[in-house]
Amino acid sequence: MDFLHVITVFFIRARLCVKHLKHNCMNKKSVLLVLVLISLVILAGCGEEAKDDYGDVSFNLVDQNGEEVNFPDDFRGKPLVLGFIYTHCPDICSLITANLYKTWIELDKPEDIHFVIVTFDPERDTPEVLKDYAADFSMDQPPFRFLTGPKEEVAAFMERVRVRNQVSDIHKTAEGEEMYFLDHTDKILLIDHNSRLVMDYGGSMTPTNIIIEDLEKL
Amino acid sequence: MTQLYLITGINLLITLVLITLLSGCEPGEETGDRSSSVDGNGISIEGAWARPGSMGRMSAGYFLVTNFEDEPDTLKGVYSNVAQLTEIHESYEQEEGMVGMREVSEVVIQPNSTVSFEPGGLHVMFIQLTEALAENEDFELTLHFSNAGDVVLEIPVRN
Ligand SMILES: [Cu+2]
Repeated sequence: MDFLHVITVFFIRARLCVKHLKHNCMNKKSVLLVLVLISLVILAGCGEEAKDDYGDVSFNLVDQNGEEVNFPDDFRGKPLVLGFIYTHCPDICSLITANLYKTWIELDKPEDIHFVIVTFDPERDTPEVLKDYAADFSMDQPPFRFLTGPKEEVAAFMERVRVRNQVSDIHKTAEGEEMYFLDHTDKILLIDHNSRLVMDYGGSMTPTNIIIEDLEKL
Repeated sequence: MTQLYLITGINLLITLVLITLLSGCEPGEETGDRSSSVDGNGISIEGAWARPGSMGRMSAGYFLVTNFEDEPDTLKGVYSNVAQLTEIHESYEQEEGMVGMREVSEVVIQPNSTVSFEPGGLHVMFIQLTEALAENEDFELTLHFSNAGDVVLEIPVRN
């Protein structure tokens, strides 16, 4: 909007200049500034086309029913809304999970969009744990898939999609077991039917209407 | 004659101001149809709810807590029978879009003010549920305050 404002002021001043036939009303600096701004916006617009391309990667994961899933091969042909969570996180991660569900509901339960959640804590989030977790959100049903996998495979996948996590706190449970919590990237991705990254959202706080608007453009 | 008009004018003005003030008060009193439980000791809890969770897993609970007293009160602890551990937690955001959560030892509620436990912020954390929390069920949560003592809530489960 700032840019629009600058452009508007520029044209109003330009018109006034013509009207009053003044030579000094617009200095060379402001003309230059506007030209630089225009080119910057055009350049930024070009970069928006594809933020990343997952077309040539391959990760073998498994869903909450124990079925093998390949990213991105199994999701080609339809847009994919992809969230990242761990199930020991009932606060922020619940918002990410619920955002996918809300998007699906608000779009009137579309069948031509994939909705997928991947854990970055595969050691604890087994398919069985993910199945319980999905059920708690009424999401243990198509089109939702909750993915985990071998530790190294999940770590490599998270690195490729730029989701970081690290142990933040170790807790003792009532039985004296150790339980860890994680600091992690808060993210939802929108990937198109050709496995190209279209959008990168702050996962938990993203209003679903923004995701829906972007989905409708695809 | 002119004086009469003037007095009538002032009366009208006062009436208008009064009407405006009175009507202005009404919407402020509406707090919606939240479930609430008010304790006799000046602590009020409103809009409590918790996420569904399976046996052995996690859940989080939320509410608004208001202190109507003229002195601060402190939430010192939370207790429930539905989890191995029940703790006061706080989610936080770091640089580069990183988020996390940590245990908080206590939460001070200033006089005549409200603290909000809400998704993405303060929450009661239920660690390793000893029973499943199913949608539309209720369970008991006790909040312990340094002045008000124990406040027992019935928390509905929903998403
Ligand atoms: Cu927590």
